[in-house]
Amino acid sequence: MNRIQKGLFFCLLITLNLTFSQEKFTLSGIVTDSESNETLIGVTILFPELQTGTATNEYGFYSITLSEGTYKVQLSYLGYQTTSQTIELNSGKTLNFQLRESSESLDEVVITKDVEKLNIRKPQMSLNSLSIKTIKQMPVVLGEVDIIKSITLLPGVTNAGEGSSGFNVRGGAADQNLILLDEATIFNSSHLFGFFSVFNPDAIKDIKLYKGGIPAKYGGRISSVLDIYQKEGNSKEFHMNGGIGIVASRLLLEGPIEKNRGSFLLGGRSSYAHLFLPLFDIDSKAYFYDLNTKLSYRINTNNSIYLSGYFGRDVFQIADSFENEYGNAVLNFRWNHLFSDKLFSNLSLIYSDYDYDLKLNFVEFDWTSGIRNFNLKYDFKHYIKDGFKLEYGINSIYYKFNPGEIEPTTESSGINTFKLIDKYAFENAVYIDAEHQITDKLALGYGVRFSSFLRLGQDELNVYTNDNPLLFNEDLQIYEKADPIGTESFKRSDVIESFFNIEPRFSLAYQLNNESSLKASYNRMTQYLHLLSNTSSPTPLDVWTPSGRYAKPQLLDQFAVGYFKTINDNDYSLEVEAFYKTIQNRIDYIDGADLIANNAIEQIILNGRARAYGLELLFRKNEGDFKGWIAYTLSKSEQQTEGRTPLETGINKGKWYNTPFDKTHDVSVTTSYELNEKWSFGSNFLFQTGLPTTFPNGQYQFNGISIPSFDSRNTSRLPAYHRLDISATYNPKPDSTKRWKGQWVFSIYNIYNRRNAASITFRENRMTARNEAIRTAIFGIVPSVSYNFKF
Amino acid sequence: MKKYVILILTTCLLLSCEDEIAVDLNTAPPRLVIDASINWFKGTSGNEQQIKLSLSAPYLADEIPPANGATVIITDANNNTFSFIEDGVSGLYNNTNFIPEINGIYTLVVTYEGETYTATETLKSVVSIDFVEQNDEGGFTGEETELKAFYTDPVNEENYYFFEFINDIPAIPDLEVYNDEFTNGNQIFGFYTEEDLETGDIVTIRNYGISERFYEFMFILLQQNGEEGGGPFETQPATVRGNCVNQTNSDNFPFGYFRVSEVDEYIYTVL
Repeated sequence: MNRIQKGLFFCLLITLNLTFSQEKFTLSGIVTDSESNETLIGVTILFPELQTGTATNEYGFYSITLSEGTYKVQLSYLGYQTTSQTIELNSGKTLNFQLRESSESLDEVVITKDVEKLNIRKPQMSLNSLSIKTIKQMPVVLGEVDIIKSITLLPGVTNAGEGSSGFNVRGGAADQNLILLDEATIFNSSHLFGFFSVFNPDAIKDIKLYKGGIPAKYGGRISSVLDIYQKEGNSKEFHMNGGIGIVASRLLLEGPIEKNRGSFLLGGRSSYAHLFLPLFDIDSKAYFYDLNTKLSYRINTNNSIYLSGYFGRDVFQIADSFENEYGNAVLNFRWNHLFSDKLFSNLSLIYSDYDYDLKLNFVEFDWTSGIRNFNLKYDFKHYIKDGFKLEYGINSIYYKFNPGEIEPTTESSGINTFKLIDKYAFENAVYIDAEHQITDKLALGYGVRFSSFLRLGQDELNVYTNDNPLLFNEDLQIYEKADPIGTESFKRSDVIESFFNIEPRFSLAYQLNNESSLKASYNRMTQYLHLLSNTSSPTPLDVWTPSGRYAKPQLLDQFAVGYFKTINDNDYSLEVEAFYKTIQNRIDYIDGADLIANNAIEQIILNGRARAYGLELLFRKNEGDFKGWIAYTLSKSEQQTEGRTPLETGINKGKWYNTPFDKTHDVSVTTSYELNEKWSFGSNFLFQTGLPTTFPNGQYQFNGISIPSFDSRNTSRLPAYHRLDISATYNPKPDSTKRWKGQWVFSIYNIYNRRNAASITFRENRMTARNEAIRTAIFGIVPSVSYNFKF
Repeated sequence: MKKYVILILTTCLLLSCEDEIAVDLNTAPPRLVIDASINWFKGTSGNEQQIKLSLSAPYLADEIPPANGATVIITDANNNTFSFIEDGVSGLYNNTNFIPEINGIYTLVVTYEGETYTATETLKSVVSIDFVEQNDEGGFTGEETELKAFYTDPVNEENYYFFEFINDIPAIPDLEVYNDEFTNGNQIFGFYTEEDLETGDIVTIRNYGISERFYEFMFILLQQNGEEGGGPFETQPATVRGNCVNQTNSDNFPFGYFRVSEVDEYIYTVL
């Protein structure tokens, strides 16, 4: 047992002893929406006399253990009426609450400062929550509400430009984000190469983004966790809502399968711009669709089960020359079980896959690749006593990687069938995490995750002289592939390579006064999967590969400190955080590496490192008709790949260079204004340092064409990016008592039509043989309108 | 294959628009550029060869300065020495007694401004172009004229191909490199599309046999010259080193490559 384990064990012992030293009772239950029975996540349950409280978990469950007595309990939740009740606690009690939405009531109780106060007390930092309501009010391009675009307006979150997939958190790469939808891992979060995210906003209940101080419950990715929960569906009555936009439309159906016990949810979304293309004689297709389904059933007070599914696809077709289809599919069974009023458990069995298919008809072949995994999670939340909560659990994931397969599509095709060797892996973890209120002012979070990764047997693993698949040619100063001297085949049950890591997590909150606190955190995390991508932003055909003999697991250490303050009864709040993180074993690619259909990735990669540091500031106005926030991030994100020996050059001559998503300054101002019941307005303003890029420093003539020469990587920058978006939401009949409620959303993206450069490329013009610099701008001014309805 | 994929990805940014802009660029000091391409056209004796030496220039410059006054010598494994003599101050160095030999190993020595540059390469053979197929509803839009120059890949060796398509419409040749990883032993084609090709236009198609190293080199070069670079799907650009080494001062490495190929040429008249 090492020192960390000993320390943890000791802490546990002390607290467990304390637990049994007083006469205490537990109050527990679930909190739901009064209209739909939808469980509510993160509802604050406060005992004002005791200055203590708790919050509901991801399944709407809460549990708190207090001394005997009569207390006032107050429940508050954003967008809901605050309710309070007096309870006499003289035995263990189950108390379920129903909250009413605050929209039309005049005697609305405003959420009080107490809600936030709890937040400044909690040790969890670097956590951003956005309500779907807030997200839906933001102006968006083409009127499509987009969860991922919305989170990039938060400090520390950015992306590699318009039309790029994914997002980057605190200088981390897009493949380092753990994206969970109802506990299942989503491998590709974008539709249409990043123009839209895969999440249907109508089906989503809650979104949390952990940028640092990540709890031990989460593992497997090192930059962030985006934890998204879908709605269960209304178990009281049937409802329908949806929206019609210029690019896509959505429809969501929900209703009871057994009143107050079981519900279903069925949501679909599809783009249809392609339907109009034939009108313009364009023989192409580009569309996406996704489907969210969920069945929920409360068996009894102690047991609930959920079956949920997600299926999303993107389809492209340009004339007859190529067809491209890809997407995620997820199937997920969960069982919530209460072992006692203090011990909540959730068992998840998840199947998830990502498939990619590309048919190139003019070269007559079909390319498929994918990743498939089975995931078992068993998570426990143990509400041991007021001020002490444990979370522990296990997680096992079995992966099968299909790096690619090529098949001829016609008999006359000159392409041979070719299968890249499938890879297999098994990832396991156990974790324990404590949230511990030590004194009135000091709260700690501490935990550890033990993770292991077994690379399982495969066919035909290449063997190299001296285990070195990548040679360095000293004369020419270039890296070259080594030829394998043979191959080895293994049984599936063999372990080719194994890794084991201890990932400690620690966080602390010290309350300075009623309005402010200081927080600090440290977390180590391991990522065993690598997305093979040598482009600035991931593309759908990038392939995931497991760690093994040559690609080592990525290891992250992150430190963060923060200052949190609420001002004037939480009318305003201020969050300031600084972070520093280092990543070991970040894969980098030798110059010109061709990753596509490459069966021997080890011949083109080197293990490097990355680091990022920065300062984040978030100032919010939380109350009144005029709300919004200002987010500012000052940061640096770099990577370095040195040569393995002093004779080798490494990549970029072994020097640190900016990652493709490094942005020094990133400012966003997001506001919303409610004029009256009919009209409300929103705006975003963004200003960002231009993305790093590499400009040529010369040209030369070779074989009749002009070739650019380059100096160091990513030392130039695109021009600064900025734009302003506005939106207006119109509710024609806010007082209508009819079931049908409609709403119009008008928005203008990039209102002053700035031609922000998504890239500047250099090319030789084919017709004139002149070299030129070409700016690609993606969205100019884009007005749009969409209509949303509820029934 | 990568090229196609990038082209597709770029094409998919349907809403994007492009314009030419002015950019301030740094300029590195000039380096020697060795464009030493020895081509043995099938059916010829291959005795006339030319090597082009020039200097690198600012990226947006219109003029490429020639490298004058160099001594250029190729030797083969049989101790034959072929001297290349500059034609005036053109930077073009000619030889008329070159002896090509399949799988022959050749060494290039260039002396320029007191520094000596060397490179070694093997003359690679190539199969003939079997026939050319024309499709007037080709390319990505279905409206381009597309040519497929078919050849039959030998089954029992790894082969690398360098295709050149030349016609009067574009000002620069269209270049492609192929390997036989997925096509070994098959009849396969070099691919060319041009929107404005008309009946009677002449397209000169050349297929060069090349080494693996030249394939890797040219693969990167073509990404950097072409229209498919840039944007979120761009790979990180870097200066590519060829097979020429500066023996006097290794930091002052040259650009370019010493390639020795057998070539099959096919003159195609558009139908």
